[in-house]
Amino acid sequence: MQKEKVIPFNFIPDKGGRTLKLGGANYMLMNDAMYTFYERSMGDFSDFFLAIRDKKKILGCKCTKCGMVRVPPFVTHCPDCNFAPTTRVEVGQVGKLLSTPPITYFANALFLDKAPFGRGRAVLKGADTAMSVMLYTTTGILTPGIFNRGTEVKIIFKDERMGEICDIFAVPASELTRAQIAKNGLLESELNFAAPKEPKYGKPTKKDAADFKQTVKELQLLAKEMSASPRVRRAIEGWKRDVAVKCKAGEFAMLINDGDFKIEDKKLKSPDFVLACEDPRYLLDGLLYKGAITDSVITKKLWLSKNIEFNTIFKLDRLARFLAREKKEQAAK
Amino acid sequence: MARKVGIVGAAVTPFKSKWYEKTYYELAQMATREALADAAITPEDVDAVIYGIYNDIFERTCIPEHPLQGITGLHNKPGLRVSNGGATGAYAISAAHAYIAAGRYDIALVLGVEKSTDCFDFTSKSSTPEVIKVIGWSGDSFFEQKIGWTASDSYAEVALAYMDEYPGDLKPEITAKISSLLSEQVKGNPVAQRANDQCTPEEVMNSRYIVYPFKELEICVYSEGAGAVILAEEKTARAIAKNTGVPPVWITGLGESNEHSFAGKNQNHWGRIYSHHMAAKRAYEMAGIKNPLKEIDVVELHDAFVHQLEISMAEMGFCPLGHADGLIEDGIMTPGGEVSVNPSGGLIYCGHAVGASNVMSAWACRNEINKKGHRRGLVHGTGSTICQYGVAMILEHD
Repeated sequence: MQKEKVIPFNFIPDKGGRTLKLGGANYMLMNDAMYTFYERSMGDFSDFFLAIRDKKKILGCKCTKCGMVRVPPFVTHCPDCNFAPTTRVEVGQVGKLLSTPPITYFANALFLDKAPFGRGRAVLKGADTAMSVMLYTTTGILTPGIFNRGTEVKIIFKDERMGEICDIFAVPASELTRAQIAKNGLLESELNFAAPKEPKYGKPTKKDAADFKQTVKELQLLAKEMSASPRVRRAIEGWKRDVAVKCKAGEFAMLINDGDFKIEDKKLKSPDFVLACEDPRYLLDGLLYKGAITDSVITKKLWLSKNIEFNTIFKLDRLARFLAREKKEQAAK
Repeated sequence: MARKVGIVGAAVTPFKSKWYEKTYYELAQMATREALADAAITPEDVDAVIYGIYNDIFERTCIPEHPLQGITGLHNKPGLRVSNGGATGAYAISAAHAYIAAGRYDIALVLGVEKSTDCFDFTSKSSTPEVIKVIGWSGDSFFEQKIGWTASDSYAEVALAYMDEYPGDLKPEITAKISSLLSEQVKGNPVAQRANDQCTPEEVMNSRYIVYPFKELEICVYSEGAGAVILAEEKTARAIAKNTGVPPVWITGLGESNEHSFAGKNQNHWGRIYSHHMAAKRAYEMAGIKNPLKEIDVVELHDAFVHQLEISMAEMGFCPLGHADGLIEDGIMTPGGEVSVNPSGGLIYCGHAVGASNVMSAWACRNEINKKGHRRGLVHGTGSTICQYGVAMILEHD
């Protein structure tokens, strides 16, 4: 197996560019990158990262004067005590969140495959300061309410560690057994992460079937309108996904292809991913800009077979927004 | 004794989601040309330039200001670049003010520019994830970048910590109303990116979560553009004003504060934006302001996020901490209220071209003072992780 590179290969564009026509003139867009490689000194943080990598321990620094324990140990001398020296101490692997943490649904390019995730500040047992830590739940998609101020969390170590801060993350202690909470150096492989399970909706009624047919028809008309809008087309420029949409009363295909957006009354043999919802109106409402599709996934009205496809969900929300904005701008003119 | 300093010229290019037609060289020159024309002076009259450019990676060069010296006609004059996160523009104006007040220069150009959305993520075929990534390089590189730090999630941390402290404040229906109000106020702003994007509170509430608790229509938008203001000492300012017929707007108060970038005991004041509180306090002391709500008519606030707008207003004394929703519920910032907040539409609707954003706010505040006869305005800037940096500036009519 090839070793992982510091820049993932799929992020690197081909050499070249394109020409864009705007207002009768041609403008160039060139594919480019600024890249710098480092052999970076971890210096006085080395023991902190080595302790994570090799000993599954978390270290802090303790001021020899005021006794404050900072985690991570980012000072060798205490700036609050006229630079009195600090010493290394080990802290606990259970702690409490300093505040309710944010949840990132729309991540930066390097984290698109990791969203949704939380990033909170955990004050570990024996520490005075809070350490930034990524937060996950073992129960599925992370939603507001799982982590709050004061929520007890447990540090988890990844099985393969490089000596980086992302070698650790935290989960709610309430999702673990007592033995797991008590164990120092608990590994990710020792957790039971719920596997994505496609929902089942039961037998449809005649009304469900009629509503489904009508909604698909409305979706088809909307998709046609969207495909005709240059602004909307830009939202899915270069994007290609075949999505199987499974509902209580039937299944249809949602096809995104470099600006084209189509709804077809057919089953896909090998879709890129599955979107499941009891009632397809959730999807229709989202595309009509009457409630975000992202939020329907968060509130579990819509189910995604692959988390990374949040990326596509964001694009669907943009389709809706771009169409609404285009209509507003036309009305303003 | 510090000399009195005033704004005698200003200009802002249109803020756009992407300027396919212009490089940042040309955007910088556009703003400079127009600001100098506004003050009816030429490059020869300018003693120095202070550049406000936030991020080298956006401009794709590590000393992005160097080509601008000649392009703006200011070769052989002093040029200093300021880069202070989101507060870059406000800090750049502050630096120019200090030089002039100290007597080093009589006239200075403050030039803010940013071209952010050339950054492009080829995997998702869109700019935004790459722009967020580039801003993400601004986070702590040992402990936070690699766990997904972003500007949004760091500001969300502060908003949520505030909401832990004051659970009844920053209600979703109020943040939605503020965003909707800003979308109405942006109408008529000639440089705004979203001048025609009026949103109802329902639309705001229905927009998708980007980073909980922030929704898409409660967050500033990335823009490309440039802004320039001309600052001059009193005698020169009055001479310029006589020539242009536009009175100077004086900078009578300035305050800045940078907090700790980590949280916990003896570190950041978690749940508060102390940097904004301290910056405003210092600016009020300098300007002799005792009661900002009564003595300030217009605020151009760096609204990176609506939630932060509310907390910043409370920190700067316009409403109590814990009842920032009073901005709407008590009619403080609603039309006809005690203070006009972001008549430009703010960064959420006018746009956020980082180095140029606070310059745009100063341009907008000056316009409000000169055109609507307000006596005093406040320009605010925020930046860095967890609202670490704060700047407040008082602009005043003669």
